[in-house]
Amino acid sequence: MDYLLTPFHYDYMVKAILVSGLIGGVCACLSCFVTLKGWSLMGDALSHAIVPGVSIAYLVGLPFALGAFVSGIVAAVCMGFIKSRTRIREDAVIGIVFTTFFAAGVLMISVFPSNINLKSIVFGNILGIADADIVQMVVISTVTLLVVCLKWKDLLLHSFDPNQARAIGLNVGVLQVTLLTLLAATSVAALQAVGACLVVAMLVTPGATAYLLTDRFSKMMFIATGMGVGTSVVGAYASYFLNGSTGGCIVVLQTSIFLLTLLLAPRHGLIASRLAARASVARFRQRAASRHPAIPEAVRS
Amino acid sequence: MTESHSQIDLTVSDVTVAYSNGHVALHDASFSLKPGTICALVGINGSGKSTLFKAIMGFVRPVRGSVRIAGQPVKTAHKKNWVAYVPQSEDVDWSFPVSVWDVVLMGRYGYMNFLRMPSAHDKQRATESLERVKMSEFKDRQIGELSGGQKKRVFLARALAQEGRIILLDEPFTGVDVKTEGTIIELLRELRDDGHIILVSTHNLGTVPEFCDQVVIINQTVLAWGATETTFTEENLSLAFGGALRHLRLDHTDVPGSNRNEILVLTDDEGALVVRPNGSKQAPVGKSSEKL
Amino acid sequence: MRLLEPFQYGFMIEAMLMAALIGTVCAVLSCYLVLKGWSLMGDAVSHAVLPGIVLAYIFGAPLAVGAFCSGLVCASATGWIKSHSRVKEDTVMGIVFTGLFATGLVMFSKVHTDVHLNHILFGSLLGIERSDQIQATVTGTLALGIMLGRRKDLLLYCFDPSHAKAVGLNTTLLHYLLLGVLSATIVAALQAVGIILTVAMLITPGCIGYLLTDRFGRMTMIAVASAIFSSLVGTYISYFINAATGSCIVLVQAMIFLIALIAAPKHGLWVNRKKRRATETGQSEVVTPAG
Repeated sequence: MDYLLTPFHYDYMVKAILVSGLIGGVCACLSCFVTLKGWSLMGDALSHAIVPGVSIAYLVGLPFALGAFVSGIVAAVCMGFIKSRTRIREDAVIGIVFTTFFAAGVLMISVFPSNINLKSIVFGNILGIADADIVQMVVISTVTLLVVCLKWKDLLLHSFDPNQARAIGLNVGVLQVTLLTLLAATSVAALQAVGACLVVAMLVTPGATAYLLTDRFSKMMFIATGMGVGTSVVGAYASYFLNGSTGGCIVVLQTSIFLLTLLLAPRHGLIASRLAARASVARFRQRAASRHPAIPEAVRS
Repeated sequence: MTESHSQIDLTVSDVTVAYSNGHVALHDASFSLKPGTICALVGINGSGKSTLFKAIMGFVRPVRGSVRIAGQPVKTAHKKNWVAYVPQSEDVDWSFPVSVWDVVLMGRYGYMNFLRMPSAHDKQRATESLERVKMSEFKDRQIGELSGGQKKRVFLARALAQEGRIILLDEPFTGVDVKTEGTIIELLRELRDDGHIILVSTHNLGTVPEFCDQVVIINQTVLAWGATETTFTEENLSLAFGGALRHLRLDHTDVPGSNRNEILVLTDDEGALVVRPNGSKQAPVGKSSEKL
Repeated sequence: MRLLEPFQYGFMIEAMLMAALIGTVCAVLSCYLVLKGWSLMGDAVSHAVLPGIVLAYIFGAPLAVGAFCSGLVCASATGWIKSHSRVKEDTVMGIVFTGLFATGLVMFSKVHTDVHLNHILFGSLLGIERSDQIQATVTGTLALGIMLGRRKDLLLYCFDPSHAKAVGLNTTLLHYLLLGVLSATIVAALQAVGIILTVAMLITPGCIGYLLTDRFGRMTMIAVASAIFSSLVGTYISYFINAATGSCIVLVQAMIFLIALIAAPKHGLWVNRKKRRATETGQSEVVTPAG
């Protein structure tokens, strides 16, 4: 029992566990909107597109998070511009823009060597996180959660049916920008926890898992956030014993839970669907045998 | 033409299709079509029309029942190019970089060699098909540069080039002008006289009695099928459409209670079916090229 | 002549040729990927190869084989989960590739290898081993051969899978053929040029072609031309500014894309702006075809 409590003896582990939990929860909350809007790969793109911002920030002496954030927003604007003016499909546009930004960032880092540890950008560095960064993350998380709590209904409508949102007088532009900004900011924070390549997981997997478990958006947000916090805390904790990459442990845990849910979910899981299909077919046959001609229930009313 | 062509019929027996999310789209669907017919597949959206097409195309495998073409399973039928498919406009990527000629030649892929090099015969068939639908002058246009009716004709040409004996048309008259509609119907009649089976999925009720000699009425199962005169009735349509049909009885007589001059209009807002007092059915005046 | 210096070095010439070859294969593939909507599949598979590489290392198998299998698993799993659940395709892709990548990371941090992460990120274009060169060349040529040989069937499959089935083509085979070619190409490209360049090479050339022409044949040729041009110029420039070669190539390609975006004769921004102005002032009868 004592052995299991060892991680909590270390300050850096406690910080890592708590920060992971916070970020995991916030990302999970946003992931409900991200998966609904079809922005899953946008998250991946944003986390790569922040690299030039980071290197410029270092060169100019600005906070790394600010540079990252601006870079992400600029990339999103470029994507929107190209998509609206050409016939190129959305996924290709995302691909072109983020690879260009990432290449530009890597170029700058290679030409102007600096303190930037590319490894910690790509893989995260939660165990060595500085207190200043923790403060940053807490601020971002609080603001995000606040905005979502206040505005989730409008954001939901905008994600689901932007035309309707416009029709009832909501400022669609502001909502779009808000969501994008929250996404960019959270990506920057999550980057420090799990690294560029795995941010996508935090922004997608919890939402998808919750989507398989419920048909109500509000419940989906709760389930996702709970799962986000839980997996991040447990994942960070476990990484101590496995002596492996923290981000990796968290994401592996999240993906495993998703796969289990996929299989076992009560209504939308694979097993449940197959059983439901078999039952439906049997029901139809029964009805056909007992009554002739077969009239489906829907028509009789 | 080999003599087996006259025996290519379509038999659907007890087909039941359940999707992986548990939804049973079609159950115990049965009907059969002999060569030389134009058959309408009538039903509301969500009635299983597209599922039935997918079953004939081999995209879904029925959990029960079978689809047989000339007694052969669907896969064999495809290898022999017996089934041609004319898609809905919404299902086509019109900005794809292919020309009209490219698309029509695609109909011949089943006959070409491993490297898909078109023979002189392939090119001749493609040219003839284009001429038949009157699209020869648009040969080199990219497909997105055409009007709605022209786009439909290109895919018809592809089906002709493929020499398919069973032609499936998915909602062929949506987005098509009246003149093209007339051209298409005329072409379908020629193909029927040649011994083809034409299966048209539609919810435009008005045109059905005009050019379809058989109908299959579908709502999750086949409710009724057979010759249009006997099957395309008010009762069967009510079964199919449930409460989803507008039922307008227009009485233009001075004698109350007499239904001698009653006109019955059945419509789901797509294309109305007008039933005159003498029992004859057609689309409203001005919509079709046929005289009343 | 300072400008001719790079050509004096064998490794520079080899780097240019290798980049051009890999670029060609990726460019042809990118035309299919862009039209099929699989642009980000390249990104996903490039990350998903990691667990395969680590497992291959543990079992002493060739790393390329492990990577290839891992990539195929990612693509197949994505397709399977998408068709058997209500989760959308882009979400499934994100979950699967990050799950695989994370698994690879955890394994990687437990196993001590001398496969440097830098090599995976940037490739080793300038310091590529002879054996890797041969492997990449053979794999690349094979992938190119398959694509050219089955190009009409693959194009039909991308355009209209229903019709492909109707004429008797085995669409399942074509599907996995395309995925297999993608995995193989990524494996070859990763060895040579690294992940950043690979993902870009699998999207941008195809888009450049798509903007500039309405014919698939021409689209492929334009894509290949732009890939070769950017490979040669990018490598050349990287010598002088002493920067990561892969990144230079990507940036040259991005510039070509930008030019195409603005100046394309039928679909570019200039032309579209002129058309819009014309309609606004009623100067021309712009008839947009219906449907």
